[in-house]
Amino acid sequence: MYLRSSKFFAAAALAAASWMLPAGLAMAQPTPAAERHLIPQSLRISQIETTEQLAILAKKKGPVGAAAARVQSLYSAHIVREREFILPPLTLLPLLADGKVTPDMAWAMAMTDRVKAEREEIFNEHTRITEALNRLVVAAAEARDNTAKEFAESAAADSLNDLEVLEPTLMLIGDILHSKLSAAH
Amino acid sequence: MAKYSARTVAVCGFLLVSGFGSVAMAADAGAGKSVFQGSCSICHSAQPGQDKIGPTLFGLVGRKTGAEPGYNYSPANQGANLTWDVATLDKYLQGPRAMIPGTKMTFAGVKDDEKRANLIAYLATLK
Repeated sequence: MYLRSSKFFAAAALAAASWMLPAGLAMAQPTPAAERHLIPQSLRISQIETTEQLAILAKKKGPVGAAAARVQSLYSAHIVREREFILPPLTLLPLLADGKVTPDMAWAMAMTDRVKAEREEIFNEHTRITEALNRLVVAAAEARDNTAKEFAESAAADSLNDLEVLEPTLMLIGDILHSKLSAAH
Repeated sequence: MAKYSARTVAVCGFLLVSGFGSVAMAADAGAGKSVFQGSCSICHSAQPGQDKIGPTLFGLVGRKTGAEPGYNYSPANQGANLTWDVATLDKYLQGPRAMIPGTKMTFAGVKDDEKRANLIAYLATLK
């Protein structure tokens, strides 16, 4: 969950889906090793911004601060998993959208497989975060804290974006890699 | 003697007619509104036509699953083919994913029977 544009993942899903449709396997230049296991920079920046906003909100006194601290705790744990195995495969999207698959992309399959295996747990994580965000909204409304309220509502929308767009995109990436790399052997 | 609002009496009548008598006796739509605000309002509006992350809950009771125009439901909700009445809501709100696997509603449910009955009573007023 990060504050980010839904359009990004909509485009990413389209790119991944369109790649599944046709054609032959285009063998591209290997992905630079230094880029492996990073996450898309736009998402990295969004995570940093969300973390910073939560840190500010969590320092507030009273119910808003307490509710924000609860979100902060859940979010911190969530992004560790995102950085570990949920988001890195997304760095392959530009190449996949160009129809390029290379054997050195195989590292991502274990990650997409893990996302697939842990979808229910990931969903439950989002459920806990959404519940905490709802509490933050209630506290913010009572305190007339529009900044906190707007943050929580945006974060909740992003949480749903993960489930509606990001996870299906990862499934498509995994399917493409399994299909093309298995076929290549 | 306990005092009940006209809305509470009306909702109890609705619930009794709906075959939900035992819960109806305890249902309090006013208390249910608090449950709604504390648990649902970040995703759902109570106003007609105002979808948020989730669909508006205005007019929910009596509506088919996946039927709010303009809202992009999960395939699971679209295919559930249920009508939201007191019984289906009571079961769904205990654990949405247990009743409709694949729903994208990130909500663990309302485990407390009284709170859940109050919430349903409130939802029944949204029409």
